Amino acid sequence: MTEMLSDFIRALRAADVRVSPSEAIDAGAALERIGYEDRQILKFGLSQALAKTIDEKQAFNETFEKFFEFRSFSGRAGNAVSQDEDAPSQQNSVRQSEQGGQGAQAGGGSSGQGQGESAQRQSPGDASAADLIDVLERGDRAELQRRLAEAARKTGVTDIRFFTQRGLYALKIQREMGAEKLDDMIAEARESNDPRQQAEGDRLRQVREEFRAEVRDFVERRLALFAANSGRRLREEILESVRLSNVERTDMKLMRDLVAKMAKRLVSLHSRRRKTARRGQLDIRKTIRINIEYDGLLFHTIWKKRKIDRPKVLAICDVSGSVAQVSRFLLMFLHSLHEVIPHVRSFAFSGQLGEVTDLFEREDVERAIAETLDRFGGSTDYGEAFETFESLALDQVDRRTTVLVLGDARNNNAEPRADILRKIHDRARRVIFLNPESRVSWNTGDSVMRVYEPCVDRAIVCASLKDLERVVSDLLRTAA
Amino acid sequence: MNEHSRNEARTSVAAIADIQARLEQQDYICNSSIATSLFLAQQLDKPLLIEGPPGVGKTELAKAAAAMTGKPLIRLQCYEGLDETKALYEWKYGKQLLYTQVLKEKLGDLLQGAVGLKDSIARLHEFDDTFFSEEFLEPRPLLKALWEPGGAVLLIDEIDKADDEFEAFLLELLSDYQISVPELGTIKAKSTPLVFLTSNNKRELGDALKRRCLHLHIPFPDAALEQSIVRRRVPEAEARLNAQLVGFVQALRKLDLRKVPAISETLDWARTLVLMHARELDADLVRATLNVLLKYQDDIESVESEIPALVVGAKKEPEWRSLK
Repeated sequence: MTEMLSDFIRALRAADVRVSPSEAIDAGAALERIGYEDRQILKFGLSQALAKTIDEKQAFNETFEKFFEFRSFSGRAGNAVSQDEDAPSQQNSVRQSEQGGQGAQAGGGSSGQGQGESAQRQSPGDASAADLIDVLERGDRAELQRRLAEAARKTGVTDIRFFTQRGLYALKIQREMGAEKLDDMIAEARESNDPRQQAEGDRLRQVREEFRAEVRDFVERRLALFAANSGRRLREEILESVRLSNVERTDMKLMRDLVAKMAKRLVSLHSRRRKTARRGQLDIRKTIRINIEYDGLLFHTIWKKRKIDRPKVLAICDVSGSVAQVSRFLLMFLHSLHEVIPHVRSFAFSGQLGEVTDLFEREDVERAIAETLDRFGGSTDYGEAFETFESLALDQVDRRTTVLVLGDARNNNAEPRADILRKIHDRARRVIFLNPESRVSWNTGDSVMRVYEPCVDRAIVCASLKDLERVVSDLLRTAA
Repeated sequence: MNEHSRNEARTSVAAIADIQARLEQQDYICNSSIATSLFLAQQLDKPLLIEGPPGVGKTELAKAAAAMTGKPLIRLQCYEGLDETKALYEWKYGKQLLYTQVLKEKLGDLLQGAVGLKDSIARLHEFDDTFFSEEFLEPRPLLKALWEPGGAVLLIDEIDKADDEFEAFLLELLSDYQISVPELGTIKAKSTPLVFLTSNNKRELGDALKRRCLHLHIPFPDAALEQSIVRRRVPEAEARLNAQLVGFVQALRKLDLRKVPAISETLDWARTLVLMHARELDADLVRATLNVLLKYQDDIESVESEIPALVVGAKKEPEWRSLK
């Protein structure tokens, strides 16, 4: 039963529920206390021990339904009753099949016996061949499932990852459960001339077909449980490092989820609000106030502390052509980090510059981007954009502000106005220039990176989601 | 599964049903999810972390559990800046001061006959520890809960409002039911307390804390459960009114509001309607009493136009749906 639990936990992990070993132990202890009597209570109990956020609870519920659907709960009870009803006739058929099995072996001649023995030594599954037929014919689904689970464990089905592996694992399980022996018996029965034996062979063949279908079904369910997410994960891994401008339209939804996930990770990483003591500075006011109750004797000393503020971020994004894609994700990222960066103001430009903060906070990202392009499209002019920014928001830039500039610095040979960037740099905590082009193509053609680079604290290549995450994480870490 | 564990399992199902019934005696109506969590928390000696939207009865659950077990409820309300001197213990400085004064007068007698400084200090050493003994310790909620001889129900309310440091500080208490006082050493619980933590998800709690707790999420109740809560808490409300008002609130929760009404607001509203001798909902009545349910002017304004439709919908709600 604990093996069952560990399988279940593995399925949970595949469904993105994080389960630590200590939680697994708790679940085991909980299972001991509540047992399998009541499915609903089992579900509640395990959920309370294993799934600790609302998202996880949801994933847990789905996995629980899938995992325990075929186990002997309510659904199987009806089956057991019907089984009892026609028990006598089944008894008969069991006896028949045993006789048939023996007959088939006898028909195979004396060498058949020896073969059977040697085969038995080779694989443990053979011993259960007759047993297997017995179970199949009785239609005892609970027992069949138990055996399937056991065979699955021996063949390591929990390692299944891709749907192309279905056939392989189905075959492995069938072999483990003694299907080969069954096949032999069918073949022998068909070869014999005795019509009774041939009929027996046909019957066995039918059983065999049912069994095959059962195993295939089982493996498919396992695949759904243990590998449902691995394909998605693989795709996510690829998408994380692919150049943003090459992302297909069909992957957009996945990308959005990915950004949300990354943002969440960053939020939980950086949501701690830190305080640092200013070394050795006594907070006299607080100290006196707290020590009044001790007759003014200074028992308690309170030291001055400084709360570390969250960063104020101003983002200036080029939304023209190929850069738009990267801008889109940067803005998406920044605005989904509202919890840890409460003060984001974003500006977009192509021909002109304008503030898009409200747009991104209110609208769906896709629509916001479309509207931004609509409003500020045109041939790129960094100089004019900086000029507008200067009049619009330069007074907002202070010691605590980080300014992100995102663009390819391709200025269509217009005036770059690096002097304004310098001015921003002097006021701001730091200025980071993000360029989606690879470093080699900087300064080629109409790129004016060389003019901007000295005016900023850092200039980074930023082309994929991974790059973006690094930039934003950096932003949060050094937000002191 | 062997016979023994099967028996145990059967009794556990009974025990959970029993908990549910006993909570009901305390006027706390719940489903088996909540009862299971309480059962497991008692059986596994694990703290129970309760999350859910405000006003679904997270704090009430702890109170009901205390009343059910007959143990004293010790409550610690968390807020930003809560530290161990307010949560765990404090030295009784006044008393220490007083005793120092007394000692000063006795100092002469005490040091009489002492030869040299070394001897005097040695004699004084016998006393300094007394100032940091349990005599001078002022227990705060956490320590009180550990000292309670018959065990206690400890409610750490709104843990998400406390700082991260405090959360980390709680870990020792939650996993081992002990705390360390530097001057005294480790203090272990006399009897394991039943610990409840509640959180409104104002901020994400740390993984370490979550790992040590069982996690119960209480969502808004469904109509049947809410009807039986109203029936229990406001018995004066007639069946028809009960069904209608619950139906109305359930419909409100589906709307896009700044703050959706919780159970406590449903109950307040039910009492209001009873006071107004209402036997049935109608649009004017709802309009007049909407401010009991909704606490923001924006919400009230946005709902106002939809009241007639909502009332009609609520009137279709079937009456007296039983819990099971």
